[in-house]
Amino acid sequence: MIADTWHLFNKYMRITIRMPLWSLFTLIQPLIWLLIFAQLFKNFVQLPGTDGNNYIDFMMPGILIMTVLFGSSWSGVSLLREITSGTVDKMLVAPVSRVAIVLSRVLHSAVQVIAQAVIILIIAWIFGATITMNIAYLLLSMVIIFLLGVAFASLSNGFAITLQREEPLVMIGNLMTLPLMFLSSAFVPKTFMPDWIQVIALINPISYAVEAIRTVLIDVPDMAVFMKGLIILLIFSGTALAWAVTAFNSLRD
Amino acid sequence: MNNHAILINKLTKIYPPNHKAIDELELSVNNSEVMALLGPNGAGKTTTIRVLSTLSGFDSGQVMIAGLDVDIAPDKVRQTIGVVAQQTGIDFFLTGRENMLLQGHLYHMQKNDIHNRIHELAEYFELTGHLDNVVSTYSGGMRRKLDIATALMHRPNILFLDEPTLGLDIRSRKMLWKHIEELNSNFGLTILLTTHYLEEADSLSDRVAIINAGKIRIIGTPDELKNSIQGDSIVISFEKADSGEQSFCYLAKQQAYIKDVVWEGNNLHLYVADGAECVPKLMMLASQNHVEVKSLALSRPSLDDVFLKYTGSSMQGPQQETTDEWWKQWAGKGGSKWQDKWKSGDGKDNSGENTSGESWQQQWPSDEGAQQHTNDSSSPSDPQNQAQQENAWPDKDRWGNKS
Repeated sequence: MIADTWHLFNKYMRITIRMPLWSLFTLIQPLIWLLIFAQLFKNFVQLPGTDGNNYIDFMMPGILIMTVLFGSSWSGVSLLREITSGTVDKMLVAPVSRVAIVLSRVLHSAVQVIAQAVIILIIAWIFGATITMNIAYLLLSMVIIFLLGVAFASLSNGFAITLQREEPLVMIGNLMTLPLMFLSSAFVPKTFMPDWIQVIALINPISYAVEAIRTVLIDVPDMAVFMKGLIILLIFSGTALAWAVTAFNSLRD
Repeated sequence: MNNHAILINKLTKIYPPNHKAIDELELSVNNSEVMALLGPNGAGKTTTIRVLSTLSGFDSGQVMIAGLDVDIAPDKVRQTIGVVAQQTGIDFFLTGRENMLLQGHLYHMQKNDIHNRIHELAEYFELTGHLDNVVSTYSGGMRRKLDIATALMHRPNILFLDEPTLGLDIRSRKMLWKHIEELNSNFGLTILLTTHYLEEADSLSDRVAIINAGKIRIIGTPDELKNSIQGDSIVISFEKADSGEQSFCYLAKQQAYIKDVVWEGNNLHLYVADGAECVPKLMMLASQNHVEVKSLALSRPSLDDVFLKYTGSSMQGPQQETTDEWWKQWAGKGGSKWQDKWKSGDGKDNSGENTSGESWQQQWPSDEGAQQHTNDSSSPSDPQNQAQQENAWPDKDRWGNKS
């Protein structure tokens, strides 16, 4: 299974690297947000309740998360393409581990998302975000990004298999990303939210991902916050992946 | 030693709610035999291939591939078979070499072996010069060859080809036939292929099985099948098929020299012992009944006549293909896009690239031969013809067997 996953993962990476522009496209939106938001909410930090720093520092982790969501939520679309073009059938008639087929796609998506996050990170740094220069903390933030990428790529693949059509999949992809972003502490501190949004933010795994990244990248690192985020994301991505694999296995008609 | 490469026993597959795609199908293919499954759209050809290649489950019956039960040991079966599906499963963004390499890895081959095999297959299929080009630059014929080459990477003993020459030009088709023939004669590969092309079944296969409505109607060598229709075949084309023509048909049926009659659109197929002798008699009969005959053709029975006899529809006439609206596909429970595609038995690919309707069109020009002019009166828009096609089940009434 590991070998199968590796070979399939290799194939997807090869295709991605062959067409680097493709993955740059998904960067455009987070970039625009980064630039517009940073300007628009510049004075936001002067309100009480924020720490009085740069807003770009505060929203930087949110933009990273956004990159992850935009990058990984389309993984299912290409699965549908592979199903229609017969590539999936070709894998299925080979004695390949069924788990490997889903796993390789999800891993590919997560790795791709890490590369995109690094680019965003560099651009944010150029625009004046104060980011930790500690390699260990940077790596820890990448772990969170990886897990979040796994989770959303799994969800996208799982929905692709259950829905079987592109249109509703795109709709669900949008539904998963944007509201979840704003219903988390990605762009505003929890204290600014109405009660009901606070409740949602509390059960929204994205909140924990944002806070875990924020604590290691920007603030004085608090390992308790990070570990909490890590554990919640491990559970979240594990469940999503298990669901996607089950959905794929039940595909045989 | 088991000498059946494929053994199917009472195979039944039902698509929910109650569409029997395969109905107690029985078939055995000997080792090193080329068997063609011939049938109209929706006959169950692709579904059969899918079940045999472990892609689809089934409801009852038993399927043995190379002595292995597909239900019990699917992974072992997968090692012994190569599958070329209707849609090319090769990845267009990879090069030919990368596609073959991946395939080798997926079949857990040794690295050295993979490279030797790529070299060998590329030579054989004349792809060597293009191995390092991305597949999207390949022509249709090259893609098909690469598809077959990838399916042969792991040296399977049994090869499934689902419509191998669909959408190829005549030259590429002939080339591919040569390859398929050689694979069988030089390497002893057992080949099960499905096809729409009678010509293909006739020239490639040792035996032909005509399948319709999920059952094998008849099986035998092409010659045996043709001989099963004795004598000659006469096709009379009319401008229309009104009551006058119908009563002419009825009268013809009464004649002692007519063995069988079959309507197909505005064409009346008559099977007689001695054609030359019967033509004047028929013309006489027609003029006596004031029926206007547009044209008349006399020929030896071809596979088309056999096909007509056992499926109630001719391969020469365009078939009606109903593609569901997207919302109908969508309305079905649990992702019916795949199901619908599989249900139809012949990949109604949503990309539109591979729809069966198109493939029908493509095959006409190449189907030269005696019956070509029978095409004249049967166009897809012809309501009479469509009605006939819709009823294209082999019921005894229409077939009018004279006992």
